[in-house]
Amino acid sequence: MNALAADAAITAEQVRGLPLDTQRGTVAMALFILTEAMLFVALFFAYFYLSLDKPQWPMDEPPTLTMPLVMLAVLLASSGVLEWGRRQGRAGRERAARGATVLTAALGAAFLVLQSLEYRKHLKVVMPTTDAYGSLFYTITGFHGTHVLLGVLMLLYVAFLPRLGPGDRPPHRPLHDASLYWHFIDGAWIVIVALVYVLPHWQRSSP
Amino acid sequence: MNSSTTSLQLTRLWETPHTLWGTFATVDHKTIGLRYLVTALVFLVLGGLEAVLLRLQLSHSDLHLLGPEVYNQLFTMHGVTMIFWYASPILSGFGNYLLPLMLGARDMALPRLNAFSYWTFLLSGVFVNCSFLIWQAPHGGWFAYTPYTNAQFSPGLNMDFYALALIFLTISTTAGAINFLVTIFRLRAPGMSLNRMPLLMYSTATTSALIVLALPALTVACVFLELDRHFGFHFFDVARGGSALLWQHLFWFFGHPWVYIIFLPATGMVSMLLPVFARRPIVGYGYVAFATVMTGAVGMGVWVHHMFAVGMSQLSMSIFSAASMVISVFSAVQVFAWLATLWRGRPVITTSLRFAVGFIALFIIGGLTGVMTALVPFDWQITDTYFVVAHLHYVLIGANLFPVFAAFYYWLPKMTGRLMNERAGQWSFWLMFVGFNLGFFPMHIVGLLGMPRRIYTYPASMGWDAMNLLVTMGALLFAVGVVVSLVNFWISARHGAPAGPDPWKADTLEWSVDSPPPAYAFERLPTVRSRHPLWDEHDEYADPAGERILAEGRLTLATSWRDARPVAVAKMPEDTLMPLLLSLALTAVFTALLLKALWMAALFVMLGLLVTAGWLWPRAEKEPA
Repeated sequence: MNALAADAAITAEQVRGLPLDTQRGTVAMALFILTEAMLFVALFFAYFYLSLDKPQWPMDEPPTLTMPLVMLAVLLASSGVLEWGRRQGRAGRERAARGATVLTAALGAAFLVLQSLEYRKHLKVVMPTTDAYGSLFYTITGFHGTHVLLGVLMLLYVAFLPRLGPGDRPPHRPLHDASLYWHFIDGAWIVIVALVYVLPHWQRSSP
Repeated sequence: MNSSTTSLQLTRLWETPHTLWGTFATVDHKTIGLRYLVTALVFLVLGGLEAVLLRLQLSHSDLHLLGPEVYNQLFTMHGVTMIFWYASPILSGFGNYLLPLMLGARDMALPRLNAFSYWTFLLSGVFVNCSFLIWQAPHGGWFAYTPYTNAQFSPGLNMDFYALALIFLTISTTAGAINFLVTIFRLRAPGMSLNRMPLLMYSTATTSALIVLALPALTVACVFLELDRHFGFHFFDVARGGSALLWQHLFWFFGHPWVYIIFLPATGMVSMLLPVFARRPIVGYGYVAFATVMTGAVGMGVWVHHMFAVGMSQLSMSIFSAASMVISVFSAVQVFAWLATLWRGRPVITTSLRFAVGFIALFIIGGLTGVMTALVPFDWQITDTYFVVAHLHYVLIGANLFPVFAAFYYWLPKMTGRLMNERAGQWSFWLMFVGFNLGFFPMHIVGLLGMPRRIYTYPASMGWDAMNLLVTMGALLFAVGVVVSLVNFWISARHGAPAGPDPWKADTLEWSVDSPPPAYAFERLPTVRSRHPLWDEHDEYADPAGERILAEGRLTLATSWRDARPVAVAKMPEDTLMPLLLSLALTAVFTALLLKALWMAALFVMLGLLVTAGWLWPRAEKEPA
């Protein structure tokens, strides 16, 4: 009986006055992030699978730590800025939101510049064509760099949209959805730093 | 507002103009669904023709109808076409057409993405088949094992077509899967809580989740392959620390879930139509739903059973062997639910039900040989023999093609407004069923006799001639059966008896609208109060205040994901050319990559980004007429 009463409530519920849906784009973005995350899982699987039968992994010198940690700081800062901007946007302060979005994109661009500097140095130690480790190192970090580039373009696009908040046609919450993607890129870099940069040093220092 | 002005107004809002522009710009899920179905059937015919050529070559010992290289290309393209461009897209076609109607929504959640999925599916299929124009079709098997497929042993464009076309196709498949998930969890009719969803939703959702989780492994594998082949990387190069088995792990981590991706929605369709013909609700709805989800979940963890013969530790083989056998428990739950439904019901024997019952029979045989191959020692005995070919065809044809034909006979009257011819349908079913068993059952035996897969001919001294001739004859009979149905679909869609809204007295919402449904599908958005809306006493369309007409634009209702309470009004996009343009840009990107014109590819990527920017840019509203 209770179930039926609840049904009556649902089926007779007021439709007039309902807000416009803003969730479909967000759910789709979340699923897109999930499938992208599985892309990195497959890359890490390859990384660890190939390490299994090797006396040492990386097969050459492990990558240096300073630069990736600086890059991590840049990305973490950018996520903070973007989150602040998203809240400004939600509170209706569009100018601040747009400014924060552009600043985030600039920090992302800075990350890419730092990565190219790091590559320039590390390419002297190992190239993608040197061995399987080199192939994986550059593929994993290169995939991530491509994602950062895509994120930067996405943020710049959002910053110049005529409207940031929910509107009456899709895209519904451009800033919110793009920021989800940006935080994902940020999180992916944390995992990369931990597994590809820190772990080999830790393994070599502990007998 | 009276009914006819409402429907006029809704038609004006939802109908795509019948112009050249409309043909390419439409985002109507019904049009897209039909295009998916027709295109997938074209690929079925292509893959079938390839199979016929293969069987003619093998019908007798020492034949030279096809040379070894042509044979390799044809058997590879047969597998690739059937698995990637027929088996999954045909289910997407049914899903696209039926899901919104079953859920009581007016379109998919992301209609433009839906159009993009279709165009990308079509163009990637055209792309891979263009390889035939220069006789450099993929020739390394649909599994493309390294090192056969690296630059040293396969120098031509063959495997580049393979790798690039698959990366291209995964874009379409992933976009489609995300769309299905958002639709199922956001656009169900008010009252259609999770425990009242039609079972097809469970299988489609499970499949879509598998696609989202497993497909990236294929993308990564194909990217690795291309980098190895053309840029001197060493992923699969043992001499430089790579591993040929890495390919197999990545490929089967995707590949085994893919088996469920092309199988679960088919079982979902059977779970929809079989109870209707048994004239009772399905037995064990909850168990079937649970078994569906669990098949997907456990199916993520059995990929190594394709690799028992490569040399691995006893422990890992035992784990994967056990997991593979566990899956058969969940499949058995579904089979027994169908059998019990038939047993407890009063079956009305139609062509559609015949195909469904034929599926159960073939699936049991394919499932049993599956349990046999899950046993490690037995697998070692029959690996790379025709026994495996028999097993996989029993599973794929039995559990995909037969349910798909059952679904065509069941839902085509909804899509075309005409009933299919039953007599032709019966002929087709018996030709297919007898031909299939005549053709594929002897493969078990030649396999046990030791005939290997993927050989283009064999000497007469092996004594396989008679069996192989039987296989070829069976396959031809089967092909005739398929053609009878295809002709039946074509003719009946034009000249069949009018179907009316609900020819089968079925229970789900798609049968409450006209056949074919109007562009806006529902004049008033329905509400639901049980698993069988059209069998209970609830009036889905009772709406005295006219609140659920929503004729102020392209609108439908969004509801909460679990108990389906109305929470928002979902605004749907207008027709647009952007999805097609983006697909074309992607085609240009992959063609440039194939020709190793990297700058050109980068240029087309930028073009694609510009199109995407245009796609997402907000535009002025079209005023409701």
